[in-house]
Amino acid sequence: MSEETIKLNIKRQENNETQPYWEEFEVGYRENMNVISALMDIQTNPVNAKGQKTTPVTWDMNCLEEVCGICSMVINGGARQSCTALIDQLEQPITLEPMATFPVVKDLQVDRSFMFEGLKRVQAWVPIDGTHDLGPGPRIPEKKRQTSYELSKCMSCGVCLEVCPNVNDNSGFMGAAAISQVRLFNLHPTGSMNKDERLEALMDEGGIAECGMAQNCVQACPQGIPLTTSIAAMQRESSFHMFKSFFGSDQEVE
Amino acid sequence: MANDKIIVVGGGLAGLMTTIKAAESGAEVDLFSVVSVKRSHSVCAQGGINGAVDTKGEGDSPAIHLDDTVYGGDFLANQTPIKAMTDAAPKIIHLLDRMGVTFNRTNEGLLDFRRFGGTMHHRTAYAGATTGQQLLYALDEQVRSFEVDGLVNKFEGWEFLGVVLDDEGRARGITAQDMKTAEVKTFKSDAVIMATGGPGIIFGKSTNSMINTGSAASLVYQQGAVYANGEFIQVHPTAIPGDDKLRLMSESARGEGGRIWTYKDGKPWYFLEEKYPDYGNLVPRDIATREIFDVCVNQKLGINGENMVYLDLSHKDSHELDVKLGGIIEIYEKFTGDDPRKVPMKIFPAVHYSMGGIWVDYDQMTSIPGLFAAGECDYSQHGGNRLGANALLSAIYGGHVAGPKAIEYVRSLDKSYEDLDDSIYEAYRKAEEEKFENVMNMDGDENAYAIHKELGRIMTDNVTVVRHNDKLLETDKEIVKLMERYENININDTKRWSNQAAFFTRQLWNMLVLARVITIGAYNRNESRGAHYKPEFPERNDEEWLKTTMAHFEGAKESPRFDYQDVDVSLITPRKRDYTKKNEGSANK
Amino acid sequence: MSKQDSSFALRRLHSLLGVIPLGVFLIQHLLVNHTATRSEEAFNVAAGIMANLPFVLFLEIFVIYLPILFHGIYGVYIAFTAKYNIGGKQYGWHSTYRNWMFLLQRVSGVITFIFIAIHVYQTRVQVFFGEEINFDLVAQIVDNPLWLVFYIIGIVATVFHFANGLWAFMVTWGITQSDKSQRVMSYVSAIIFVAVTIIGIRAILAFI
Repeated sequence: MSEETIKLNIKRQENNETQPYWEEFEVGYRENMNVISALMDIQTNPVNAKGQKTTPVTWDMNCLEEVCGICSMVINGGARQSCTALIDQLEQPITLEPMATFPVVKDLQVDRSFMFEGLKRVQAWVPIDGTHDLGPGPRIPEKKRQTSYELSKCMSCGVCLEVCPNVNDNSGFMGAAAISQVRLFNLHPTGSMNKDERLEALMDEGGIAECGMAQNCVQACPQGIPLTTSIAAMQRESSFHMFKSFFGSDQEVE
Repeated sequence: MANDKIIVVGGGLAGLMTTIKAAESGAEVDLFSVVSVKRSHSVCAQGGINGAVDTKGEGDSPAIHLDDTVYGGDFLANQTPIKAMTDAAPKIIHLLDRMGVTFNRTNEGLLDFRRFGGTMHHRTAYAGATTGQQLLYALDEQVRSFEVDGLVNKFEGWEFLGVVLDDEGRARGITAQDMKTAEVKTFKSDAVIMATGGPGIIFGKSTNSMINTGSAASLVYQQGAVYANGEFIQVHPTAIPGDDKLRLMSESARGEGGRIWTYKDGKPWYFLEEKYPDYGNLVPRDIATREIFDVCVNQKLGINGENMVYLDLSHKDSHELDVKLGGIIEIYEKFTGDDPRKVPMKIFPAVHYSMGGIWVDYDQMTSIPGLFAAGECDYSQHGGNRLGANALLSAIYGGHVAGPKAIEYVRSLDKSYEDLDDSIYEAYRKAEEEKFENVMNMDGDENAYAIHKELGRIMTDNVTVVRHNDKLLETDKEIVKLMERYENININDTKRWSNQAAFFTRQLWNMLVLARVITIGAYNRNESRGAHYKPEFPERNDEEWLKTTMAHFEGAKESPRFDYQDVDVSLITPRKRDYTKKNEGSANK
Repeated sequence: MSKQDSSFALRRLHSLLGVIPLGVFLIQHLLVNHTATRSEEAFNVAAGIMANLPFVLFLEIFVIYLPILFHGIYGVYIAFTAKYNIGGKQYGWHSTYRNWMFLLQRVSGVITFIFIAIHVYQTRVQVFFGEEINFDLVAQIVDNPLWLVFYIIGIVATVFHFANGLWAFMVTWGITQSDKSQRVMSYVSAIIFVAVTIIGIRAILAFI
């Protein structure tokens, strides 16, 4: 058995009111490890690199296959999912930090309720009359469905907000994720019946106008969602909406 | 009187569907989940959802779907609820479609369907290969709209600690704990619906998410709810072996033409296609798993002698793969670095699903009045083996029934939780606080995570694909030993704020309790049926074992007590299950 | 839009004013200046025409000063609400092209605002107090090499801010949506930056 080890440098914090500090760890190397399995080893044996007993590192994990969106953190300077961060592809020591855009709960765990509030704000759902049987849904061309599917993969992981220079404490900017959801629901035949409400939510404070087009979101999105195309498309829609609601007739949905 | 009030525990497909149904009827719902509901394990479901919509002109029908499901489950499931489920399936798919699920479409813009295991028909609606994620998001969105309307209160990041039972033994609320602040609180309601998912994490590494400890189901079992058919654990034939998790490689890969093979005498050997000419690679999971297991473990014909065989999609058009299997192709690429469009994937079976669960009647009510269960945590729809793409259906169907039935139950009560004395709730809260203090004060020298690893190892080695009575007995002894070691855990972190270890430690006990139910249940059942296979008893034995296993909790240090209930076979007479030829029941309909 | 927060309209106005009239004015201004490369007289004639337009003060106020003030002050506010993530540990210096442009747009905007303020004081304000707008006025300023360097930096920053701002304008109004069109527009804006910078630098050097 080889003595190869993995070095981790983890930014820790008791809670949102205390000062963060760095703690180094070393764990044994195995093949196919990811950041999560290294953190699990620390859980099983909470001892730091100096050999001192410490508390296990707190972080969020769940599906471990990059569909639940919970395990985002900043790894070697980049925000991403820790489950797909394979040890073999990372430079050591591996630095782990919580995402800075969100309030820290503890260690690497953050509070992303801001994102879910954003989804409420933009009415990110298809309004239906009820769950009783009303027969099939509307027909949708497969090509359009493929566009929607890409947008619908958003798992609210928060990476796009973390890398965005305009999502911060100084601004109320909702970030790319919620904007892209407006595009998703406005594409749906039933969803589009409420597209004006969603656009107006986008045009409100903290909305689409605060996008600074740094386009980091689209680079960082772990699901490869075309976020910047979504934003530009919603820029166009909201431009039209602005003119229509000022110059246009009283008919809102065409 | 105030609105009807119910509590839903769990925010996966079953919990969300229950919530929607209840909120729609005007009831107020408190929805509890250990994670934000959008992160529930349902997101991991890949392949699709079954429903005999029959858009391919194949003459498929709910009756055939019923037969395939019953036959696939080796006749262990009660047939009446399955019929209700397969009848409802097409409507459920249409409902999801109306909610905006991005189901793949045909050229005409209609829903597309693909084939799945255990059927000859195209019956599975799908959204790429992330169908579970897409369905969960649709329901999550609907629930969010009810949240905005004020009918649903979400308690995300709260852990369920138990049901509050009134003097008559009815469920009247729950105790729960905020995972951040560690605050214990009771919540009142007139009905509680458990939708807490499966117990895969008992097996250590599985295809399950980390929250799938089965802890909540174990808790209600410890409070007197009957746990049924616990020994029926589905081992999925195709998963990517990994260090932290065994990642699912969906059955849809085979539905879309993926082939299982390994080398034999230097040539590719398509062993499933050879043995099962009609179903080929789409035999039910228990069968595919046993075959792969046999090829690797007994015949030592795995790739390079290791426990792996090929799942091959490399002959398929790569654009079509992206459209129909988007999601899983990427997962394989991300975690192995190989491109399944070009090279065959290497896979091995992994623990995937529990057919067993909390016992429920045909209204999804457990043996505790006012306590309902739906989804993977209930036992009702799959019998001895679940067919692929029936899980999403059963989860949503379960919620479809549990929601309205819970409301019906609430309206039939002659007194509500508001008439109960507060002291009942206070006693529950105090008891849970005490329990938590005990956990926080554990200062021995064992590590909870290490004990869990041990549990996972012995369960996976002995209580999965092939089961031997001597090993099962040995395993139960080992679990009891782990329970003793549990007493000697060190909590390591004594801070209250967001203490994950403390919560995990408490869950671990519940896992140990449930592990015994699974293991002894398997030991008792001396036959082979569905996913439960004993070489000592290789045949199904309907005379003695066409029965539902019912486990009763007898105390923390006691073995569970078992009794058995007859299976409802009112619709289809049990016949031999043999996938080397076409399912005659399904062909005749 | 009754309940609407006004910031959306303000942002759109901010974007629009950057191109019309400010961008148009910038080009026109630099073209007038460029006449100085032909001869002193040519510049004086061109500048004379501009200075003697009817209602010139009115035009200046509504087409130049108010738009600049709004665009500049609101722009500085925007620039200071961002948290830049180039450099430092987070992303290193190997950040993406667009993230660099995001930063440079804001840096160049602030420089431009300061430059214009000083430029207006040195030229228009002096004219207001009786100086005549002609070749010599500018020549006197750039006679000092420090002012010349300042002017060159100011012109480059202004042109950059304009050219890159055109790219942002196209996205803000939803004209370029696809990756491809946005990429092509990046090239176009780079070409505009180079071409207009040449015009501007040639012009200022002609005053030496």
